[in-house]
Amino acid sequence: MIELDLGAPFDRHRATVKPDWIDWNGHMNVGYYVVAFDQATDTLCQQFGCGFEYTRDKIGMTFVLEAHVTYDREVREGDELRVTTQILDHDAKRLHYIHAMYHAGEGYLAATNELMLMNIDYASRRSARWPDFAMERIEKMAAAHAGLPKPKQAGRLIGIKKK
Amino acid sequence: MLDSLPYELPDLVTAAPLDTHRSTVLPEWVDWNGHMNVAFYVTAFDQASGAFMRNMGLGRRYVDGKLGMTFVLETHVTYDREMKEGAPMRFATQLLERDAKKVHLFHEMFHAEQGYLASTNETIVMNIDYASRRSAPWPVPVAERLETLWTTHRLLPKPAKAGRVMGLSKR
Repeated sequence: MIELDLGAPFDRHRATVKPDWIDWNGHMNVGYYVVAFDQATDTLCQQFGCGFEYTRDKIGMTFVLEAHVTYDREVREGDELRVTTQILDHDAKRLHYIHAMYHAGEGYLAATNELMLMNIDYASRRSARWPDFAMERIEKMAAAHAGLPKPKQAGRLIGIKKK
Repeated sequence: MLDSLPYELPDLVTAAPLDTHRSTVLPEWVDWNGHMNVAFYVTAFDQASGAFMRNMGLGRRYVDGKLGMTFVLETHVTYDREMKEGAPMRFATQLLERDAKKVHLFHEMFHAEQGYLASTNETIVMNIDYASRRSAPWPVPVAERLETLWTTHRLLPKPAKAGRVMGLSKR
């Protein structure tokens, strides 16, 4: 397993906006923000030993239960993205975290994605406790992130404000 | 604000919920877990938002005519059951709220043959002026259509999965 990165927030994932991620409005489509964020989740899960090999070797899978996205600014084809991740909470089977996507060159916040991820047993496709090797690493990262302030985009309720 | 739109609008469907959009899980939407990837649920829901907007008179011609666009500001998804490649999808859409520039929509995605609820999506969509790429009031005919739709959609019960805040419930 790769060495655990205890930087707070976790700041490893990088991506580039691909041509086929652009829609007729000339910017990254809402669905592809989530593609980019899901790849950042893969980078995170690799830290816990729950990445591609975890599924390829038929040990387990991780399923997203719920997601919340804020679309803060547009990004265009070819833009370089930096995604940071903060662990918010966890239990025996689940992980609650939030990604922040930045335009890597200009530094602005482009979007956030709050997620609830669940560990899944490969054979039954049902929820299962995190394997010990993963839980140990999740707890270390959660402890490293415990001092971070709660992002204002976390725990949001969707609605149109009455004026 | 645009007082009119320079093309013919489709006949308004006032059904509550709106139940016209259908789709199919494409092969390229499936990930290494063998099911529709989380991102493509959002793509599928975005197409359902597109169907809602076309019913309001804001389709491709709105963008191609350089009149305006619609941007999603925020979205919340619950992933309730898996969908496999080729699965037929049926969408039901409820207008939860509207104002001068925005709509608050709630979509439900069902497996069209087996009937189960696969996912829900609550979303805020805003009207955008084409030239400035900034928010702008709905064109007048669109605002009128929203008010017509609102008269029936406002009577629907609030969906159980709307207005969710994410978190681990402590047991």
